[in-house]
Amino acid sequence: MNARTETAENTGNVPTEHTNSSGRSKLAEFGQTFVSRGFTMYPVIVLMFVIGAITAPAFLTTVNLINIGAQIAVLGIVTLGLSFALMLGRLDLSLESTVGFAPMVAAMLMATTDAGGFGVQLPGWVGMLITLGIAGLVGAFNGYLIVKVGVHPLITTLGMLVFLRGGVLVVSSGRSIYSPPDFYTFLGSAKFLGIPLSVITMIVIAILIGILFRYHRFGRAIYAVGGNEDAARAAGINVDRIIFSSYVIASLLAGIGGIILTGRLDSVVTTQGDGLIFNCFAAAVIGGVSLGGGRGTVIGAISGVILIGVINNLLTLAQVPSFWVQASTGAIIIVAAVLAAVASNRSTTVKTRT
Amino acid sequence: MSEAVVEMQDIRKTFGPTRALQGVDLTVMKGEVHALLGRNGAGKSTLVSALSGFVPCDSGTIRVGDLEIQTDGTEYAARIRSRVAHVQQTPRLFDLLTVAENLFIGNTGVQNRWGFIDHEEVVRRATKLIAEWKIDIAADAPVATLSAESRQLLEIVKALARGVPIIILDEPTAALSQAEKEILYSHVRNLKTKGVSFIYISHHLEEVFEVADVVTILRDGNVVLSREATEKLDIARIANLMVGEEVVRSTRKDTAHKEAKPVLQVTDLQIDSTNDPKISFDVKPGEIIALGGPVGSGKEDLGMIIAGHMKPRSGSVVTDGGGARMLPGYVPSDRHQDGYVGILSIRENITLGGLDVLTNSFGFVDGKREAERVTELMKSTDVIASSSAQAAMHLSGGNQQKVVFARALCRNPNVLVALSPTRGVDVGAKEQLYELLRSLAAKGLGVIVVSDEHEEIDQIANRVLIIYENGVAATLEGDYSIEDLVIKMEGVT
Repeated sequence: MNARTETAENTGNVPTEHTNSSGRSKLAEFGQTFVSRGFTMYPVIVLMFVIGAITAPAFLTTVNLINIGAQIAVLGIVTLGLSFALMLGRLDLSLESTVGFAPMVAAMLMATTDAGGFGVQLPGWVGMLITLGIAGLVGAFNGYLIVKVGVHPLITTLGMLVFLRGGVLVVSSGRSIYSPPDFYTFLGSAKFLGIPLSVITMIVIAILIGILFRYHRFGRAIYAVGGNEDAARAAGINVDRIIFSSYVIASLLAGIGGIILTGRLDSVVTTQGDGLIFNCFAAAVIGGVSLGGGRGTVIGAISGVILIGVINNLLTLAQVPSFWVQASTGAIIIVAAVLAAVASNRSTTVKTRT
Repeated sequence: MSEAVVEMQDIRKTFGPTRALQGVDLTVMKGEVHALLGRNGAGKSTLVSALSGFVPCDSGTIRVGDLEIQTDGTEYAARIRSRVAHVQQTPRLFDLLTVAENLFIGNTGVQNRWGFIDHEEVVRRATKLIAEWKIDIAADAPVATLSAESRQLLEIVKALARGVPIIILDEPTAALSQAEKEILYSHVRNLKTKGVSFIYISHHLEEVFEVADVVTILRDGNVVLSREATEKLDIARIANLMVGEEVVRSTRKDTAHKEAKPVLQVTDLQIDSTNDPKISFDVKPGEIIALGGPVGSGKEDLGMIIAGHMKPRSGSVVTDGGGARMLPGYVPSDRHQDGYVGILSIRENITLGGLDVLTNSFGFVDGKREAERVTELMKSTDVIASSSAQAAMHLSGGNQQKVVFARALCRNPNVLVALSPTRGVDVGAKEQLYELLRSLAAKGLGVIVVSDEHEEIDQIANRVLIIYENGVAATLEGDYSIEDLVIKMEGVT
């Protein structure tokens, strides 16, 4: 190599080994850990609770809080699924269509002919396995196209999204299926000690994934691949396998989300899951999951989910005209995303890869 | 003939703390081939880049024909480009355009006065040029489909076809076959008689004797020999001038266990094609072997094959370590590209190299063992940081490289393969890394270093395999001198 390349690099790397001891306080260090662990949005959530408690008397009631929980369970689970793809520096738009498609196929196989089904009348537990099986296949197909064929994730999952939207109408002939078997709706409707099973499911999944990300070699590999794919490969990590598995896991989580949504509404409508992915992206980004990959935590992603749930709830309680609810949510998402971006820039001073 | 077409005076260029050019003068006569020699980092490429304006210099005067530029660090490439063509070390072509489009891009000869391009003319001229150079490619083939040598040749053809009076060729033959070199030489001689001047940088001294009229040698950003006629020079003198008096440097130690069972055996290995020579050698514990040779010789490929990151055409690499193949530790050549994950901490970066040994049977990372291993490795590689939680991107180049070494050593391999182990690190960190390599060898590791820096090899390697055209061209062992090394590495045997 010549002097040009060698030295250009020296200038780029101003040694910063001693900045911590000299320039930075304990507080700044705490702030950095606070942000990097994903706690950035929790003060905002607390603020929202205070505002809610003051402005809407119905807000801080058990019924309402349980209601919020039930509403965000599906969003939470699918957002965690999306996080797998985002942390790898990729994305998966097809998750929301899996939320609709996989339960629809299962419902058609479980329902009687009178109810609009195929008349096979499979039991609920088989329907559940079918839902997860289809979701897994969708993820595997996405993963195959992205890893082996090399199709861009945006195109792969956009195609899958549109394909499955159509697929729902094809298998159901455009009709919704009502009252699937009890076993199938159990997860989305039952309560345990007054808390919806869906919320418990979300919390359990979040804890499991949180442990996976932080303490398991699979999680370590995901951060590495998202941060610098070539370096991960050079370190001996099987990058292709990590990406493929992540797409399968993401899709399985969407399948679970679909089962819960079906249980909560006691039906599979043809539009099930429509528009969900936008809220998932918003929740993930607000929660500090980097779209460029390599950065993000479960604690953060969940904070984004809670924030969106609380805001929606507050707007409804404040009797904001329903036309305005959606627009307001959008505006608040932008504000929150700006805050998150500023916070993460402050804490790292280096821009993420986009 | 003795009319100066290029006069560069007191050219200075600094990159941060490094003074790449410290007041260099260069004069090129009309119709001469002027060879520019010097070791890596001597300032050759910086000097010619200053002439073409690719890297504007900080101060000094450049005169090209009747154009005089007083440089001050601002851009001047646009003013100079109609007079100077610069073929750089790595081809800079537009992959998605065709051969013909690449050849004539920015060439005013095929444009009418409103800037519209006559496509038929482009293809006609390109076809003629390709035939002249006896290149076996179609004028309408996309450049992305071409081989490395065709691309390099295309870059040269493009520069030579521009009809400019001064042409810079920076290591033009790295990827060319002997026949293609001959064609290049004949074109160079032909253009020379028409009054075109060449500045020719090469690591192959025999090429210099073949085509160059005069030689200028640079060392550490200064001219140590100016415009000496090629006939008056011999290889030994060139090597001496390139190396110069050396500052005190650490020296190699021989810790190889010559009688021991080898830790790595390479058998009948062919790097890229079935025509490549077969390479066989073994590495004893405690031995540091360097793979040297010019750029593009195949030494990096060989290093990656040994490390298990590339597949050879044929042959085998066997490491001693039980039944399953235990991969050697691997330090890639470009740490920014694939060395470290910038946004992750030092700890996470190091652990990446040993996820299979630092996890329990369920795949969970053992926090205590991880912390111990990271502390131990940071100590042995001498990483300076506030804590192991510091992000790798905030470290200096030398410390980043040490993290990459620590990662490579995390799994406790018995062989380490390091590509360009000290690229882009300062002198102090360099010596630390050499010391690290020596201490690893002393502990019984087999170390393979791929390098094109003479001093580096001289300072650490007990055995040097000179790789040239995907084969072992020469071997140096034991008590070789740096002059021997320079001569062998510059391709003169």
